[in-house]
Amino acid sequence: MTTLEMIRRGTPDPPHDLWPRLRAQLEAQDDVVRLHVPPIGWSGVAALATAAATLLLVPDPLAFLITSGIL
Amino acid sequence: MTSTVPRRELLAYLIGTGVAGTILVGPYVLRIVAGELFVPGRVLPMVPVVTLPLVWGVWNVLWARRQPVAGVAAWGAILGLLLACFVNLGLAVRGVWFRHAIAMIVFLPLVYWLLWGFVVGPLNEALGVEGQRSPPVRR
Repeated sequence: MTTLEMIRRGTPDPPHDLWPRLRAQLEAQDDVVRLHVPPIGWSGVAALATAAATLLLVPDPLAFLITSGIL
Repeated sequence: MTSTVPRRELLAYLIGTGVAGTILVGPYVLRIVAGELFVPGRVLPMVPVVTLPLVWGVWNVLWARRQPVAGVAAWGAILGLLLACFVNLGLAVRGVWFRHAIAMIVFLPLVYWLLWGFVVGPLNEALGVEGQRSPPVRR
């Protein structure tokens, strides 16, 4: 057996029918974006509480929020 | 004319500008409502928040390009800290600085940490901005 024949035998035939693949790819894609929002956790709660406490502590929260660019 | 822009960076810019642009509802709508409800007749100052989407967009592009070790929330907090310092400096230069404006240096990084961690980060992840650094664009 020649080397070329060995290579031909060892390599599977290329898939000529591409439709099953294309169909599978199309089915795998959808128009939905999956958002994975992380759980808020203790650090998130602490950040929220500190931000809220800051608003309670400042004498003029409205002016504070406005200059912060939040409001 | 055709220019080549990495998809991740373009998406990063659009996410940053989109989220910050949505937040502008606060300064442009809620501010007026809150002003009318709580302090009617008072002239409320207007800070240049209109530039916020540009800053957020560019900051998210830098995130996509550099992929720093810090998480996206911390990256946002750094922006909040920079902006808080900038606002305080601006108030001082204009001679309208008030004592409790210094609290912004704590407040703004925390708010930005939350917004970037829970809004920008998940959008970056969902739209494929997170991941490896952008390859250099071939011209």
